[in-house]
Amino acid sequence: MLGQQLLNGVVLGAVYALFALGFTLIFGVLGVINLTYGFYFSAGAFLALYFTQGLGISMMLALLLAGIVTGGIAVILDGLLLTPLRRAKAPELASLMVTLGATLFLYSLMSAYFGTDIRRLPPKVFTNVGFNWLGLHIETSQLLILVTMVVIVSGLGWLTQRTRMGLAIRALAENGTAAQLAGINAGAVTRIVSFLSGGIGGLAGVLIGMNYNAIEPYMGEQMMLKGFAVVIMGGLGNIRGALVAGLMLGVLETLTAGYIGSSLKDAVGFGLAVLTLWVRPVGLFGRATIKRA
Amino acid sequence: MSAFFANLLFTYQSLIYGLGINAILGLSMYVVLAIGQLSLGQAAFMGVGAYASSLLSVKLGLSFPVVLVAAAGVPAMLALLVSVPTLRLSGVYLAIATIGLGEVLRLFYVNWDYAGGALGLSGIPDRGGFFTIFGTLALLLAAAFAVGRSRIGRAMEAIREDEQAAGVMGIDVPRYKLAALVISAAIAGIAGAYNAHVTAFIAPGDYAFDNAVTILSYALLGGIGSPLGPVFGAFLLTALPELLRPLHDYRLVLNGLIIVSVVIFMPRGLFSWHMRRIGAAK
Amino acid sequence: MKFVQLKRGLRAGALAASVLATGMAGAPYAMAQAKTSVQLGAIEVLSGPNAKYGVSIKSGFDLALSEINAAGGVLGAPLAIHYEDSAGNKDQAVNAVRKLIGADKVSLILGPTLSGEMFAAGPVANAQKIPIVGTSTTANGITALGNYVFRTSLPESDVVPVTLKAARDKLGVKKVAVMYGNDDAFTKSGYDVMKAALTKLGIETLTTETFGGKDTDFSAQLTKIKAMNPDAIVVSALVQAGAGIMLEKKALGFSDKVRIIGGNGLNSPKIGEIAGAAANGTLVGSPWFVGKQDAANVKFVGAYKAKYNAEPDQFAAQAYDTLFIVAKAITAAGAADPQKIRDALVNVKYSGVLGPSAFTADRNPADTSGVVVLEMEDGKFAPLK
Repeated sequence: MLGQQLLNGVVLGAVYALFALGFTLIFGVLGVINLTYGFYFSAGAFLALYFTQGLGISMMLALLLAGIVTGGIAVILDGLLLTPLRRAKAPELASLMVTLGATLFLYSLMSAYFGTDIRRLPPKVFTNVGFNWLGLHIETSQLLILVTMVVIVSGLGWLTQRTRMGLAIRALAENGTAAQLAGINAGAVTRIVSFLSGGIGGLAGVLIGMNYNAIEPYMGEQMMLKGFAVVIMGGLGNIRGALVAGLMLGVLETLTAGYIGSSLKDAVGFGLAVLTLWVRPVGLFGRATIKRA
Repeated sequence: MSAFFANLLFTYQSLIYGLGINAILGLSMYVVLAIGQLSLGQAAFMGVGAYASSLLSVKLGLSFPVVLVAAAGVPAMLALLVSVPTLRLSGVYLAIATIGLGEVLRLFYVNWDYAGGALGLSGIPDRGGFFTIFGTLALLLAAAFAVGRSRIGRAMEAIREDEQAAGVMGIDVPRYKLAALVISAAIAGIAGAYNAHVTAFIAPGDYAFDNAVTILSYALLGGIGSPLGPVFGAFLLTALPELLRPLHDYRLVLNGLIIVSVVIFMPRGLFSWHMRRIGAAK
Repeated sequence: MKFVQLKRGLRAGALAASVLATGMAGAPYAMAQAKTSVQLGAIEVLSGPNAKYGVSIKSGFDLALSEINAAGGVLGAPLAIHYEDSAGNKDQAVNAVRKLIGADKVSLILGPTLSGEMFAAGPVANAQKIPIVGTSTTANGITALGNYVFRTSLPESDVVPVTLKAARDKLGVKKVAVMYGNDDAFTKSGYDVMKAALTKLGIETLTTETFGGKDTDFSAQLTKIKAMNPDAIVVSALVQAGAGIMLEKKALGFSDKVRIIGGNGLNSPKIGEIAGAAANGTLVGSPWFVGKQDAANVKFVGAYKAKYNAEPDQFAAQAYDTLFIVAKAITAAGAADPQKIRDALVNVKYSGVLGPSAFTADRNPADTSGVVVLEMEDGKFAPLK
């Protein structure tokens, strides 16, 4: 049973890690806490439902398309909400508040329109096939989650470390003003980063919607609370930290439910996050360069 | 005439009390925002005040003034626990440390059988009422003005405008931040106690994240130039849903829209008057 | 002289004021009487996520209302229902009670839909001595709120033991795993009832697992349960989580012999719609099911289908019966007076689509003989053979 629980935990952790990756990317490069991020998660799942059920597109293609569309939504929302604030050099917390309001707006619009009932992918669109391997029960959606995570992580690593665009992204993350002085088009880089993070958030939403076959408007808000715990544990803006902390949280939650008590499962993340703030506020792998007051 | 007014007060009691209680919550938010910080745990603090006071009333039968001390004290302690590690970090950390607070407390209440668990706590005695609620509001407003016009108020504004500069000028920034958060948690706790003792029943899900955002929108809509801003913001947003009842599911949509448009277009809020100070350049 | 005159003037003024006061306070009463109909209030969840329950209940009331008024109403006047939407929010439920009593001057209130709403709204009506009758509030402790609080829905404590006994006697269930939603008043109190019934029936509980009402991931709990090899899984959940558990149970490769045994929360055709074949074999107990073959029920189902073009559910059936019970009590009371209606309700006997019904001394439904155990088969509940 331990092996099975560990597998459940790693899959859950992979989703947490993937989700936190996009979130921490925005903060690391653009320096804002963008609360609309949870909405991309819900939006991705709903889009995939629409593409497969409404338009009859295959699941794999729908996954890709949902990621692209949520990426686009992220670029538009950033342009509408955050660009004016950047231009006005508004205080740091203004961006948090504006995305908070936008999140409330988007979620409640979505639930007023779609209702809050859980929706499910019809069996003809997607059926989870389970098979046994080394005594473990594995499902296709679980494999897909693990594969997507590896692909996204290596792709992101390649992009930021090996390409010119990656250099520009890293420069902007290091020092915005200096990067602009060096001739980097900050607007374009901002759009690319928004697109990437929105896309990752959307993909994570489709994958988890598929794995538990449950899609509802507020699924992103639930995820966001875990996302905060993961990015605090891993260090705000730290991509490697988000990966490790995400996997760790997934495994710990599953083990808690399996061996200690299922009622404590959801408190694990918050407990670890507060502990991190007390003991090591820069996160598990944080460099001490986090902006201090 | 008294029968008519008694009937009117009976019919609209929740709304009238709600105006006062939400205005107190708006003030609790103001105390944090006035120092340039953001707490997303005001609803959670309110819930702690509600639970602490209701348990003492229901289980031990303590008198209301004693109960109120706990309603202020327990959330203040919790604020201390959560905020101390974030004081020396950027403001973002306080916001995200408090964002999950409501959810984790909900889980705590749900698993706490003594406090009724998921069934909630019913049979809370009817205490407080009109004069207590609005008397407290008046008292808090007076205190906010007195503090705002003093040296402390000027220090708070200095921190809000530029934290680093304020530190250089010799203001003990972390201490001010801590004091503001603890006081605001205590005020929210008292509002929670009043609310619990006029509605007779509380449940774990009553203090969720949505409520924290609503409290923030009181302060943002009213503006934080003066303590009166959040109070009027709360009045408006409490009366409005009653007037706009047909909106139903779209009420929260409106709340979200208010926050977005105020931050982008009217960063000073709807009531942008400013508190006058002795010695202020006018 | 002057002094006396002044005094007289004062007295006249006071008299005028008191006339004005009674005139104003009395106005709603006068208006209600002018309509010459008996005014009832109903508070139901008509919008938001739980609207499906409230809308079913309203349909049940409206069908009964049209039948009662077609037959001449009560006390020689038509019956009228003022609906208020609580949106599933306890504060709005309290506002609605205050408005119905203060402004609409109703003689009796039906609802609210959810137990949590009743815990907040019930005491307000009770304090004003207005009877309030829940048709769907099954949690423990509802009628303990006061002498004016009634309910017509069987509490879980009357239904769940019957289901579990049938599982033990007919299917040989000896050891079970229990799962319940621990963050919801309804599913938690359902669990309390299950726990007591399991102990009483001598069925062994291998483990007790919890989940949140909004959870979608049940794999950790079910993996643990599977390793313990239970005969059945006893579940206290609402439709969404319940269906999720069934789907995950099938995905994890449980044997079909391991059934889900549920409470009232799973007694909904939606379970079959969502979980499909994974829902097969699910057991629930219910005082009513749509295929019940007695004259009263066949007539009700036919009339309901004709009016709404849909099958009634248990909530509609309970509401339908309740309005007839209330109408009978008003007739027995002889006046639309809240106190007299309350006293008549305590003694009323009625036989409707749910079978015979009456109230116990503590204002709960007295008759539990109608409870049947149902089994899910290809998306529909049918009596367990």
